[in-house]
Amino acid sequence: MSQSDLLDQFILEARECLEAIGKRLLDVEQDPANEELLNDLFRSVHTLKGNCGLFEFKPLERVVHAGEDLLDRVRHRTLAYSAELADALLEAMDYSAQLIDQIERHGRIEDGADARSTAHAQALRAFLREDASAGVAAAGAAEAAPRAGAAAPWIDRLDMAAIVSKPGVLALHYLPEPGCFFKGEDPWRLARTVPGLLQLDVVGASAWPQGEDRTGWDCYQCNLDIVLSTDAPRAEVESHFRCVAEQVAWRDEGSDPVAIDVPCENPESPVLLNRVAALWSDQCESLARAGDSTGTVRAARTALTRLLACLGETATPGASAALADLSEGVSASSLLAWARGNAPALEIGRDVVDERMSGPTGRDRDVAAPSQRAEEGSATQAPKVLKVGQEKIDRLMDLIGEMVVAKNSLPYLAQRAEEVFQQRELAREIKAQYAVINRIAEDMQHAIMQVRMLPVGAVFQRFGRLIRDISRKLGKEVNLVVEGEDTEADKNVIEPLADPLIHILRNSLDHGIELPEVRRAAGKPPAGTIRIVARQESDRVIIEIHDDGAGVNAARVRSKAVERGLIPADRAATLSDHDAVQLIFLPGFSTADEVSDLSGRGVGMDVVRTAIERINGGVELSSVQGQGTMLRLSLPLSMAVTTVMVVECAGRRLGVPMDMIVETVRVPACDIHHFKQARTTVLRGRVVSLRALNELLALEAAPKPNEEGELAVLVIRHGNESVGLLVDHFQGASDIILKPLEGVLAGLVGFAGTALMGDGGVLMVLNPKELLQ
Amino acid sequence: MTIRYLKKHAVLEGHVAVEDAETLTQWLLEQREPAVHLGACASVHGAVLQVLLALHPKVKAMPADPHLAAVLGLA
Repeated sequence: MSQSDLLDQFILEARECLEAIGKRLLDVEQDPANEELLNDLFRSVHTLKGNCGLFEFKPLERVVHAGEDLLDRVRHRTLAYSAELADALLEAMDYSAQLIDQIERHGRIEDGADARSTAHAQALRAFLREDASAGVAAAGAAEAAPRAGAAAPWIDRLDMAAIVSKPGVLALHYLPEPGCFFKGEDPWRLARTVPGLLQLDVVGASAWPQGEDRTGWDCYQCNLDIVLSTDAPRAEVESHFRCVAEQVAWRDEGSDPVAIDVPCENPESPVLLNRVAALWSDQCESLARAGDSTGTVRAARTALTRLLACLGETATPGASAALADLSEGVSASSLLAWARGNAPALEIGRDVVDERMSGPTGRDRDVAAPSQRAEEGSATQAPKVLKVGQEKIDRLMDLIGEMVVAKNSLPYLAQRAEEVFQQRELAREIKAQYAVINRIAEDMQHAIMQVRMLPVGAVFQRFGRLIRDISRKLGKEVNLVVEGEDTEADKNVIEPLADPLIHILRNSLDHGIELPEVRRAAGKPPAGTIRIVARQESDRVIIEIHDDGAGVNAARVRSKAVERGLIPADRAATLSDHDAVQLIFLPGFSTADEVSDLSGRGVGMDVVRTAIERINGGVELSSVQGQGTMLRLSLPLSMAVTTVMVVECAGRRLGVPMDMIVETVRVPACDIHHFKQARTTVLRGRVVSLRALNELLALEAAPKPNEEGELAVLVIRHGNESVGLLVDHFQGASDIILKPLEGVLAGLVGFAGTALMGDGGVLMVLNPKELLQ
Repeated sequence: MTIRYLKKHAVLEGHVAVEDAETLTQWLLEQREPAVHLGACASVHGAVLQVLLALHPKVKAMPADPHLAAVLGLA
């Protein structure tokens, strides 16, 4: 893997990490007590930090590192998670995303970044300091266990001299809960079996009973108070106490320069290396024994992570990220395989030897090691997911498209063989071959579509953050509920959705959901709910955005639309309420009296509609005043293959997208009414205006009637009305791969694009909407 | 049975499990000069340790485990 490939990979993964972090931060805010979420969050940040270590991106690493420290404290319940903390972390993550953008553009971080990154890191670290000075004890911790600093009285029960004299000696205070015996715990045994135990002291947490009290004393109420010191690494001891982690207080390592959690000053120290190697193989053994017990696997994984952390990022850069990448439910055997394949002992042994042999050039070796190790790591575990650049998939898609077109020429060939060369037999064989190729081509097309499918959840992800930020800004309380985020659609359909959906959500937040007091007065719960529901309906994906806000005031929409001159007043009055609320999709419509930075500039909903229509989707609004609004987006599953109606006009073949067509009819010339320039006809009791396609395309020919004197009319949907297009012939429907117009043709209006037909001809596909304007 | 209750002292042998804590408590409370023999005691459950700490009987023989001895104030 070359350096630039590695960098690309880094950028890709960093983005993923940041996305995951953003999402997790919000999840954690909802449910701060959830260990699982916190650990997941920490893991993402840790992975990101580990990845930064591969490159010299100091400003980025600084920010991420501060975030990691902060989260570590939160994770160990020594710091309370708060909205302010989340704000700071989110801001830091935004800044990190900016840095990643810079790295992607220029391959490095711009010079001015240092000061800002320091500021961000300091803002994060301020929480750590604040906490230390305030001495905030974590929720759920044993009240009696003093947490802050070396001044904790329990420390005095140990021989301090022995702790301070030797680096890496840990002291901890274990205060089992009174009912622990009933849970089958044995605190004494747990303490007695701590790895690397040095000193151990047990006293009564409260005074032992004396005299008369002794008769009624309950020997099954645990009253033990245990302090101990050990020279085992913290990771190992933590994993030993993992079941009662909240009952254990550690000697504050902030006051201790050689604390184990901080990457060791001297990772090459042979003592540490030996210890790590021994522990590593211990973990391998326990994994080999574990079978599929998830607890052991998790513990071993934690231990391995900590071991890597203990070695420091520079010594094992790829490894900790790779470990964090292993899936949550990784089986004992695969973790074991990984652990064996990545045993740091061998690596380090070699590093040390190399260093000794190569002397001063040993540093270069360090630079080379990470990528090498990453490759070794990937060799031992078979990759299950391939990361492929989008352009490669697009290229494949194009090729398959050409394949589909190319195979369509076979029926023409068969026809020629039969008609021109009188080879009936050959024609039949060509047709048989065509059937085979056709089947394979369709399968290929289907397969590539599957590859391009994305869950709609991909765009929903960022909404949590958006809603949180905006609702905080507006002083509203909003819950976001997302359903059906697994619904899949083509990448080209999903990706352009992000902006319109953001517009819609902003509108819902700004105009829809009321302030808590207004909601309470209306008898609704103070917190509004925005529900995003996605589902598949035959070949369309439906996305509905519900809010339980004030709804759209149809009367106000009417008057605003008239006021802004969007429709005449008399027409506005005749519209039903349902039709009236659709007016908000008109360009230039806004009901907001003043422009806020959220919405009200009158570029809202028509932009949404245009964006949705660009991907052949439709948008519809329904609203009940006082109860809420529902926006329904209907989108195609895929845009790759478009069905068009092929029509003939003055000897030219033209395509019209099928989803715009209402019907095809033949109208006798006598049924067409002329009024000045305009032509109309009556279809099923409704007046339909007729336009000749020849005229619209500036072709100097009149529409050709057939033998019975009837004109072919293609009725298409245009906004809320139907319009009839007069054409010469209908040629039937055809599946095509639509290519947008490029180069000098790109500016051409009235055409959606071109497609290659089976016989090699080029079909121009119309965009009737533009044509009719 | 991992505790043998003799006339003058109780002998704790092997691993003394959590169930024994209650009978040991009762027995120690009944004695005028309670004493325990820990020479053959390999390990005790936390509850038993708590009983020994709370009622601090006289220890006739030291346990082999130095940490246990230290915690009982015998080292």
